[in-house]
Amino acid sequence: MTDLVATQGQARRRRLGSKLDFSRWLSWACFAFLGLVVVLALFGPLIAPRDPYAQDLALGLVKPSSEHWLGTDDLGRDVFSRVIAGTRTAVVGPVVIALGSMAIGNVLGVLAGYRGGRLDSTIMRWADLMFSLPSMLVIVVVAGTFGGGYWLSVGLLIALTAPFDARIIRGATIEQAPRPYVEAAKSVGLSDTRIMAMHVWPNVSPIAVANTCLVFASSLVSLAGLSFLGLGVSAGTPDWGLMVSEGRSLLFTNPVAVLAPATMIVLTATAMNLAGDWVYDRLSAQGAIR
Amino acid sequence: MSQPLSTQSGAIRGTSGGLNVQKLRIERVGPHGAHTIVSEISLKVEPGETVGIVGESGSGKSMTAKAITGLLPPAFVASGQAIYNGRDLLALREREWQSVRGREIGLVMQNPFTMLNPVVRCGKIIEQSLRRDVRKRMNRRERRSEAIRRLAEVGIDDESVVDRYPFQLSGGMRQRVGIAAALAREPQILIADEPSTALDVTTQREILALIKSLQVARGMGLILITHDLRIAFSMCDQVNVLYAGSLVEAGPAADLEAEPLHPYTHGLLLSEPPADRRVAELVAIPGSVPTPDSVAGSCTFAPRCGWVRPECTSGTPPLRIVGDGRMSGCVRIEEIRPELAAHRARAGGTAVPTGSPGRVNTLITVNDVRKIFQSGGRDVAALRSVSIHVGEGEGVGLVGESGSGKSTLGRIIAGLERLSSGSIEIAGIDASDRSKLSRKDQRSLRSSVQMIFQDPYSSLNPMRTIGSTLQETISAHDPSAKNVERLVAELLLSVGLDPEHAQRKPAALSGGQHQRVAIARALAVKPRVLICDEPVAALDVSVQAQILNLFSSLRDERGIGYLFITHDLSIVRQVVERAYVMCRGSIVESGPVDDVLGSPKDPYTVRLLESVPRSSDDWLNLGRS
Repeated sequence: MTDLVATQGQARRRRLGSKLDFSRWLSWACFAFLGLVVVLALFGPLIAPRDPYAQDLALGLVKPSSEHWLGTDDLGRDVFSRVIAGTRTAVVGPVVIALGSMAIGNVLGVLAGYRGGRLDSTIMRWADLMFSLPSMLVIVVVAGTFGGGYWLSVGLLIALTAPFDARIIRGATIEQAPRPYVEAAKSVGLSDTRIMAMHVWPNVSPIAVANTCLVFASSLVSLAGLSFLGLGVSAGTPDWGLMVSEGRSLLFTNPVAVLAPATMIVLTATAMNLAGDWVYDRLSAQGAIR
Repeated sequence: MSQPLSTQSGAIRGTSGGLNVQKLRIERVGPHGAHTIVSEISLKVEPGETVGIVGESGSGKSMTAKAITGLLPPAFVASGQAIYNGRDLLALREREWQSVRGREIGLVMQNPFTMLNPVVRCGKIIEQSLRRDVRKRMNRRERRSEAIRRLAEVGIDDESVVDRYPFQLSGGMRQRVGIAAALAREPQILIADEPSTALDVTTQREILALIKSLQVARGMGLILITHDLRIAFSMCDQVNVLYAGSLVEAGPAADLEAEPLHPYTHGLLLSEPPADRRVAELVAIPGSVPTPDSVAGSCTFAPRCGWVRPECTSGTPPLRIVGDGRMSGCVRIEEIRPELAAHRARAGGTAVPTGSPGRVNTLITVNDVRKIFQSGGRDVAALRSVSIHVGEGEGVGLVGESGSGKSTLGRIIAGLERLSSGSIEIAGIDASDRSKLSRKDQRSLRSSVQMIFQDPYSSLNPMRTIGSTLQETISAHDPSAKNVERLVAELLLSVGLDPEHAQRKPAALSGGQHQRVAIARALAVKPRVLICDEPVAALDVSVQAQILNLFSSLRDERGIGYLFITHDLSIVRQVVERAYVMCRGSIVESGPVDDVLGSPKDPYTVRLLESVPRSSDDWLNLGRS
């Protein structure tokens, strides 16, 4: 009887163990992939086997071969090299958007949540107003009016994402603000600014960081979409979104030219989401949220 | 090891309705291997018998209850045996559990505020808990009257309760509903996991008396899990003392109370002071409860024991028979028995509070203070005309149950809440409206009064190291301070902590250490009086006495007075000279603590005093309550 129980216990322990092994393996894979993306973004043009801009009209479109690993597009440009070179525009914009909206959103969110009152309602009504705008439509209209451009799109996305950050951070701040450690900081005479920056924010930071990862992933997709619509980078630049757009007519001749950049978009966004989860778990394990 | 087990299993033979737990072991499986939660527990419960499991937090007592009811969380694994009616409960599958839980073994949980589904009416909760065959036989009206009958059994005579939602009831009422639901399938064994801990002291007594009377009336076996030895003594026939995942002592309650036969039980008894007198010495057990893994292979209590010898740390000492029905895990108990008795006699002597009131200079004067909160469009008076005063270096108690306004008063004095009317004067400064004061006055108020909070875990910023929290406080108080790191080390030493703790984050400290750091932070601004809002309520019993002794020594050495806000009369008796008793926002009685608690005048004070757990039989005899 006891033996039976013991073996059941051991089996259960093994099951739990393999589950934990998989989640650890997954987070390692995510960070390895993101590391690769960072390396490509920094040194892409050096790593690329061929010049991503070099056209070879005589060659034209070919399928994947040992010469061109992912084939070429209709202008004879090497798809593999263009995917590598395209990493930079694909990653820099979302990073700027994620950090920009994190900075604006966190400052406004902590202020609103900690101070409360009129300031809180002003900030939150503004956020409500921004929510009510259909964001893609606004970007298409504004960017279209001003003739598009990568950095214009980035700026617009920051402005439209920051209110989401602010709302989330405000919620987290409201949870922290009445805690005894905040009251204790007040009662020993610290200034409000110091309490907000040094006491409240570190405790909402896991949420802020995790949210920033999500913003990165979603703006990667949004920027790719804008490039697809011709409102992002200028035509001809190696960029994952633009490659999907330009390559769609080639879907039946060299599908890899579309699938490769599309896969990179999906993988990077997924890896960033999972990494965000991991960071959140780690930071909150320090006792920040509870 | 084999000797006690063979005697225990010898006694199994007669168990028909009883539960017999043998060598129960619980582990948590995590990414870094398995952690022991409970190393080994054996106990048995006969019908009509009450068995207590007493232990501090982290001793594994709640997990034991969960293992016996098959409710262990996913990462926890139990091994061993729990024989009930010839079946081993630990080997059951989830489907099989459903016919055991509630029907054979009922469970009453600790927190009445979260254990009832808030969107289900109380009557429905009872109906759903009834056995299916019983429920199916009845029509709607019969089910309703059955629910009313069941609620009447647990002392709820008001029929309208069946139509109310749990959140509309008080904590005590909810616990009664929880008990009625646990009993709805007529279990043979009831497990009560800290059933009264979340309740007020006066309600606690009613709930415990109810559980006891139901157990006697139904002839159930009862396993009572508690951290309070006094409650275990008043309720139980047998008491098992659990420490760091293993049993250290077991025996009949009365014998255990008369003479504990393990240094841990001995220390635990002495750190729970009586309410009827001030003891000569409040004995604290040094250190804090270890994890079972860190004390594996030795006596679990050895790191904190004053009688430790090399033989204590060589191998886990087995629980062995040391007297008539008594078992102890202490290898040296025969040797140290007279020493323990002498220690008890010395520490248990009566002392007279020092410092007569009236002689000292008044530091805080609260005059006719009222506080009104707006709640849901209504005005709720938290304080109705309260006047108190606290002298320089004086220990003053503020006693009352939750909702009496005692915390509100403390927060108003500490400047965390504004008063609605009345006046407060602190060290010659009118502190009635702090926002109107000059910066200099505000600073001098802060350095006069500091607050110590109830929950030591959340009163420190979890993301910052202890050192940076203290440094920041020192610099805020005195921007020109030099040698801040040396000051931090001095502060930590003054509250009995190693200066190397400055490097750590709060998560790496125990509850008692948290509270010490919080006291160090308050001391950083060199206050003259501390407002302590239930400073030991969240701490383990063995650690409480350490903190109480720290307050006493701070006062003796530095002349720092304190306003001690608490619901616990026995604690107040030990640490203050003067006491105020609060009830529903008013002071109902005040004076020297020996007068207030020795010969109470107000009926409320009398009721509070009676609710302090005592082991004598009349404590649970309430008549009809």
